[in-house]
Amino acid sequence: MKEIIIRPKPKWQLVDLEEIWRYRELLYIFTWRDIKIRYRQTLLGVIYVIFQPVVNMIIFTVFFGNLAKIPSGNLPYSLFVLIGLVFWNFFSGALARASDSMVSNESMIKKVYFPKIILPFSVIVTFFFDLIINFLLLIIFAVILGYPPNFWILVVLPFSVLISGCTIAGASLFLSSLNVKYRDVRNVLPFLIQIILFLTPVIYPLSIVSGRNQHLMALNPMTSVVEAMRMVFQKNPVFNPILICISVFSALLILYFGLWYFQKTERYFADIV
Amino acid sequence: MKPIIEVKHLYKKYRIGRILPYYTLSDILAELYKKPLNLFKRKKIGIDGLYEDEFWALKDVSFNVCRGEAIGIIGKNGMGKSTLLKILCRITPPTKGEIRLRGKVASLLEIGTGFQQELTGRENIYLNGAILGMKQKEIKKKFDEIVDFAEIEKFLDTPVKHYSSGMYTRLAFAIAAHLDPEILIVDEVLAVGDTSFQKKCLEKMESTTREGRTVIFVSHNMEAVSDLCSKAILIRNGSIVVMGGTEKVVRLYKQENLDTSAKIHL
Repeated sequence: MKEIIIRPKPKWQLVDLEEIWRYRELLYIFTWRDIKIRYRQTLLGVIYVIFQPVVNMIIFTVFFGNLAKIPSGNLPYSLFVLIGLVFWNFFSGALARASDSMVSNESMIKKVYFPKIILPFSVIVTFFFDLIINFLLLIIFAVILGYPPNFWILVVLPFSVLISGCTIAGASLFLSSLNVKYRDVRNVLPFLIQIILFLTPVIYPLSIVSGRNQHLMALNPMTSVVEAMRMVFQKNPVFNPILICISVFSALLILYFGLWYFQKTERYFADIV
Repeated sequence: MKPIIEVKHLYKKYRIGRILPYYTLSDILAELYKKPLNLFKRKKIGIDGLYEDEFWALKDVSFNVCRGEAIGIIGKNGMGKSTLLKILCRITPPTKGEIRLRGKVASLLEIGTGFQQELTGRENIYLNGAILGMKQKEIKKKFDEIVDFAEIEKFLDTPVKHYSSGMYTRLAFAIAAHLDPEILIVDEVLAVGDTSFQKKCLEKMESTTREGRTVIFVSHNMEAVSDLCSKAILIRNGSIVVMGGTEKVVRLYKQENLDTSAKIHL
């Protein structure tokens, strides 16, 4: 049996993967709990999950596509915006809930020891299931409209999931830690998410932005996720490697920062929460 | 053989004087606006290097526990018992000092931690077991035992929000009692439930120590402490007053209580 040593300052470690592995069942059971409660309380169940992107798509198509006539390249606007929304909903939903995960599990944090990093992670996994459902819906919709995905999907889909996962994890680790100390993070967050929506090319194509600003926008990893995903449904996909590199770098930086801040503050959560 | 728990010169500092344990950004800004220097101006007082709004919840606590021992921790409210347990369970870090634990720890600081109202009894057994550190396989193996002990067979598939408080407590304790840790840390959780169930819980804990496991037990119930523990620790104002045979320590504690109540009567 390994000896556990409790000291004021433990040895520095950005993330204790071994411990997370030991607690993997807890990750699984938290996820299972979230999914179960969600579907038990809402009669609509799975329908609820696809409801949001579909309604958003219809509204956006009417107002931005038909009325404002925002260009959407070779794709019909409805498909164009749905691609963006599927990943945007994953990002915004998971980020909002994960940032609240420490505070909403306050009673547990105060009474039992477990690697708290599991809490935001389980939220992300939960929303990943929604993403799968929504993505299937997207494929069906695209095929019906006559835009079946090309082979790039095999590369772009894992890439997109990974990059958005890193971004959500990093951002929510930071925000959930901050939320423990400053409870108004909760109130600011919806506003922040709304701003990021407009900084992500969900309702408009990145091509309407000037070249230099495109590089700036790529600092938001979701920009490349949405743009790359759209290429999957094009006949002749063109990827911009510079933008993708910027986004990958930015996502890793966000993840690193989130882990660092979380690691620094985590030990005192039980004292302040 | 090395002791299973080694606590060396443990200190824990807390801050008081804040109305809220947490703040909002706007509070901070408002405060900063009113008294811009306040954030940097805190007076140091005392020889132990404390600021004026700080105090020691634990002060130089050291003790060892051997394998198979049951130790009772007693003391009045607010004397540092729960803080000690929280550090032992790794919920909060010490300010100074060190603890070495040489065995798997399970803690029960509150009954039903993480119970989910919407989920059924069956589901909560798995959830709560996992939170307390059990593997799903272990839970499956002990499932019937847990249900038997809690006496809730009929309500297994009812959401726990419809449970009576007695059923709730029984289920929560049953899960915790079937953890198989080498070190079991239990806070005052037996205060709930009726006497017959309390007795059942104590018996279960006794059999735990007979199996060679170590129990750390905090309680205000001196009878329970005397029954279960061979040794006890009396804590006052964050320091250990005495550690020794339960009988002696309990007598001292009762004496202490008598003295204060005598003062109140005067």
